[in-house]
Formats: sequence, structure tokens, C-alpha cells
Amino acid sequence: MTRSYRYALYIVLLAVVLAMLSPIYWLVQTSLKSPAEMASFPPTWWPSAPRFANYSDAVSSVNFVGALQNSLTIAFITTTLTTLSSAWVGFGFARLTAPGKKQLFVILLSTMMLPGIVTLVPTYLIFAKLHMVNTYWPWVAWGLGGSAFLIFLFRQFFAGIPKEMEEAAIIDGCGYVGIFWRIFLPQSWPVIAASVILSFTGAWGDFVGPAMFLSQDSTTLAVAMATGYVNDKGLPLNNLVAAGAVMYVLPVLVLFMFMQKRFVSGFSTSGIK
Amino acid sequence: MITTNHGLSRRRFLALTGAAAGTAVAVGCSPASSTNTGPAAGSSAGSAAKGTVTVMSQSGEFGPKEAKAAAQALGLTVKTVEYDLTKLTAMLASGNPPDVVRGLGATETPYLVARQVAENLDPYFEKSTLIKADDIDPVNDVWRYDGEKQGSGPRYGFAKDYSQDCTIWYNGGLYDAAQVTRPSGTTPLLFDELLEEGNKLTKRQGAKVSVYGLNPNGLGLFQQLSWMTDLAGGKLTADDLASVDFSSPEAQRALTWYLEYAKAGIGPTVLNPDPNGWDGPTFQAGRMATTLSGYWLGGLFSEDPKSAKVAGFAPAPQFDTNRRVSPCFGGTGLWIPRASKNKDAAWAVMEWFLAGAPAKARASGGWGIPPLKSLQTLMPQKLPYQKQAYEVQMAEKEHFSVTSFTPYVRVDAINTIISRELPKAIKGTTSAGQLADALNSQINAQLEDGKKRLR
Repeated sequence: MTRSYRYALYIVLLAVVLAMLSPIYWLVQTSLKSPAEMASFPPTWWPSAPRFANYSDAVSSVNFVGALQNSLTIAFITTTLTTLSSAWVGFGFARLTAPGKKQLFVILLSTMMLPGIVTLVPTYLIFAKLHMVNTYWPWVAWGLGGSAFLIFLFRQFFAGIPKEMEEAAIIDGCGYVGIFWRIFLPQSWPVIAASVILSFTGAWGDFVGPAMFLSQDSTTLAVAMATGYVNDKGLPLNNLVAAGAVMYVLPVLVLFMFMQKRFVSGFSTSGIK
Repeated sequence: MITTNHGLSRRRFLALTGAAAGTAVAVGCSPASSTNTGPAAGSSAGSAAKGTVTVMSQSGEFGPKEAKAAAQALGLTVKTVEYDLTKLTAMLASGNPPDVVRGLGATETPYLVARQVAENLDPYFEKSTLIKADDIDPVNDVWRYDGEKQGSGPRYGFAKDYSQDCTIWYNGGLYDAAQVTRPSGTTPLLFDELLEEGNKLTKRQGAKVSVYGLNPNGLGLFQQLSWMTDLAGGKLTADDLASVDFSSPEAQRALTWYLEYAKAGIGPTVLNPDPNGWDGPTFQAGRMATTLSGYWLGGLFSEDPKSAKVAGFAPAPQFDTNRRVSPCFGGTGLWIPRASKNKDAAWAVMEWFLAGAPAKARASGGWGIPPLKSLQTLMPQKLPYQKQAYEVQMAEKEHFSVTSFTPYVRVDAINTIISRELPKAIKGTTSAGQLADALNSQINAQLEDGKKRLR
């Protein structure tokens, strides 16, 4: 690689990095502006007098801590149960044989084509009949049901593990539960990392589910922020929304930074790129 | 040996899966209980007997804070859920609706009543100690519907506050800078004057508008065009509320005026919306000269000295027909679903919120006109702009009249069609007449379908 080619590459990469970071920069500088400065024209690149009070207002305008706890609870339930159940089901599809397995797998994958919004009202009716509305039980049920995409991801990964490893375990007296827990799962950290990140961000960023199934005092941060940063007329206070959003994305950024290596290898080793 | 292992392991695998799932359920649910959410704390069963009222509203209007105050004042358990049309539909379908719901009386009442969703509140109003018949502002008639016409018949809801939504807020500083005479507080501007002044007040930097001269969009284009057609001497919606006619000369006059405004590029349109989403921040930034927003916008300026200094209030404009109407397209308030299981308690909450202590607090905030005449003396008049707005607003009240909206489709659906068809006409690819034909055919098809569904 010649020096000039390398410099050109760095310039391109730098431009891409700046393009990717610019929305985050805009979010942060918006979070420090007054409503009038936000609406000024031409737009200012940095607030003339940064209003750090927007952050304290964002925390005090809604039940931030309570909603944060609720978000973490739902994200924990979803991440744990979805990852476990998807891994188990993926293992079954990858390593066990049964009549109709292929057809069942196709049906499972086809559920990915169905937009969640279509089943929202029927799902509400079912949970209402079961007296599960305003509880976290729906997230337990969804978690136990697994995720079609994650099942596919685990299945692809498990299918790539040599058959001889499974046979050796069976000869040594290990059953399928043992094979799953002791041999397959410990090897699948990249996929688990991908699953944890996807499940966590999915639950953390979900607005529709909590808005539909929870009341205002038990709802999540996503809903509290989307509906709480308003004036007396219910119109949005966008600088508070931005300040809240900066705090809201931090857990996801931290999680991704810690798990990014495994996250990437999770996708590359499961045949999905 | 291997075969046996396979069989046994599979069964064990499945059995253990079930056991683990059960354990996970138990573990997974314990945090829900600890955070005290609804039925996990045992709230759903028998809640009505304990006097629980569920209010569906917006956080900024009736949220957990207001619920706590209501519970303390009335000795009831009050819960809140965020207003969402899909959630409301689901709750109604599940047979467990909220007991009190937020609504826009002006545009939603016929729709709710025709579907037999809203409770007739007349018996409650008759017994009310806080709301006396002679104290009710006429604007609350938007919550009445007799099956044919809005404005008469039983009351199905009540406004928390209101505005005559086509009255004008203007930035006096921008008028002075552009050497345009400020709007009169007593004589309404004519639409042609409004357009001409909007052009003079608009400032541009290159292709971008730095100061909007005018925003006449109000709460929705169908509402605005209905009002303008009325001012021109016609009717956009037929008397049976089952069809619209954008082709009449009066409706064409309204449509042509709006297209002239949109083509001039002097204010937000569906093609070039204001990125701020609403006029408040734009006005505060000194970038909005004139907006047909209604009295409520003034609530924003009381804590913004810069805006308070330049803000002025003026009557709703009119055409040269001498017809003067100053409508209300919101009348945001509360209603009680017919299927509510605790209507008496729901009314107690509603009455407290709309006529009790919270109503007095709202009245002095300046974010709307109180729905009771007796509370209107509490409207803010301390700052010069507040005093001027109060005087103009009180005189404007006599020009209010109820506009009937159709019960067959939601007004949002009509506005969606208008927003879809309008860009072609603004760009000049279709004429006002062609736009009218397209709107007539699409909106009337929806109205017909909606009417069929009601039968």
C-alpha cells in the first residue's frame, strides 16, 4: 500500500467517522440550547451560553429514576430469557432430528415477515384476558417465546460445530442437555454477545410495547421521555428531549463498547454478514 | 446404548426446558412486583369496588402528579395511562376501557357518539355542584351532538380550556422592522391583507426562509378550509355531514387563497414544514411574524420577556363578505366511555379536574381560556401583552359558533388525504379545480365507507 493511498484511505475513513458522529454531536449541542436558540436561523454550531440545567430539568421533569429502573428491569428480563430460549431452540433446530423440523423452521422464519404492529391489538386482547396488562408478564412471555432472528443466528452457529464433538460427548455419557450447556453454549460467546446486545437494545428502545401494556407510573424511560418532556399544552420541549436522549443512549453505548468484538464475530461466525 | 441415550436425553431435555422456563418465569417476574406495577400489586381485580379511576390523558395535562392530587382530594385511587388511539381502541375492545379519556371535543364528538362509545353526561351536569348551567361557556357546545348536528343535544364531554384557534399572534418587532402596520385589536384583517403583509414580513437567506411572514395552518387544513369556506359564504361539508364539496365557488376561494399562500413560500406548508414542529420556538426565536394559533400560545410568553415585549394579539381574519366567525377546533377536554365500570367516580375526577382547584390554576396560567365563565376573570392580565390579549379575546368570544364535523371518519383521515394531494397543486402540476376534484372523490369515498360501517 503506497503512502498516498494510505492517506487517501484515512481521509475517507475520517469523513465517514465524522458523518457517523455528526448526529450525536448535533444531539449533544441541542441538549445544551434554549428553545429559542434551537429555532434560530442560521443554526448555531454551539450554544452561545450552554444550558446544563437542561439535564437536571430532564431528570426532574419526569420520574427519570423510576422509569430507568423499569427500563432496566424489562431489558434484563428480555435479554436473559430471549437469549436462553433462542439458544435452546436454535440448538434443537441445529442438532436434533424430528419429523417436520424443516417446515417448522420455515414457519418460524416466516414470522419475521410479520410486522409487530399488525398483531399489537390482538396481543393486547390476549394479555388483557389473562390479566397481564400493567405487569411485566408480557415481557416474560415474549422472552420465553424467543426471537426468530436470534434462533436463526444460534442455529447457524450450532450447525457449524463438528458432529464429532457431539458424538464424543454422547459416548462419554453426556445427554443433550449436557451437550448444550457444557459444550455448545460455552463455545457460542460471540453469538450470545450479539444476542445480548440485540435483545437489550430492542427492549431498551421499545416504545410501542411499554406504551400499550404499562400505565404511566410503571412505564419505561422511552415512554416517559417521549411523553413527559412537554409544556402545559402537551407540545414538545425539544431541548429537554435531546438532554434526556443523551442520557438514554449511554447504557447502550457502554454495552456495545464492552461487547463489540464478540458482537461482530457473532455475526461473522454464524454465516450472516 | 447410544440410541437409549438419545431418547432419554431428548425427553430430559424437553422436561428440563419446561422446568427452566418455569423458573425463569418466576425469577423474571419478581422485579415487576417489586416495582409496584398494576396487577402485580393486585390492582385489576375488584378495582372498581375500591373506587379506582383510570384516566387516559397526556402527561403534560393529567399525569401521575395530577392523579396523586385527585386521589388526595377525592379519596379515590386514580391511575393514568398515556393517551394513544391504538391503546384506547384495544382497551375498548377488551371490555376494560379507561374511565376518563382525553379528547378534542370540536372534531371528535360526533365520531365518538355515532359509535356509541361516549356516555351522555347530562345527568351528571344536572347534579353537579361545581358546574352550573349558566356558568358554562358556549364553547362547550362543541361537546354536544344530537345525531345530526354538533352544538345541540346531550353533552358528552367538557373542555379543560379552549382557544378560538384562528385568532392571531403577531411579533410587533418584526412588523415595525418591515414597516408594516401592526394588526388592529378590534378590526379583523382581510385574508388578502394577511397574504400581502405576510409577503412583506418574510425574510430570506438564499433559498431558505429566515423569518416566516405567516402561518395560517392552525390545527389542520380541513378545519381551516372549512372555516374559510364558511367565511366566504359557503359550506364545505354537506348538511347531512356525509359528503364534502371542494368545488363550490366558496370552497374554491378558500383553496385558491391557500395555494397562493403556499406557492409564495412565506410560511410552513406540507412541502416545507417548520422543523420545530410548532410555532412556539419559532416565535421565540423571532422568526414568526404572524400565526393563526389561538389564545393559548400566549402562555408561552409569560416566562420569556423577549417574546412578551413584542407579542400582540388580533382577531381572526375574514374575507370581504362581512361574515365573521371565530371558531374553536380543539376544546380539548375529557369524556367518559359508556363501558366505564366506575362512572360516578370517573365523573368526580372529571368534575374536580375541569372545575375544581386544577381548573383555577390553569385559568391563571394563560395556556387557554377557562371553560367556565366564572373562571375567566382569573386569566392573566399582569403584563401588557396579557392585558391586550385578554381584551381582544373577550371581544372575540361573541363571534364563536360551533362547526359541525362528520361522524363518519376521523378528521385526521381527511387531513391525510389533503396532505397527500396538496403538494401537486403547490408545485403547480394540478390546478385548484383538479385538486378539488381529487379531494372530493377521495374524501367522499372514505365518508361513504365510514357511513356504511356505522349501519
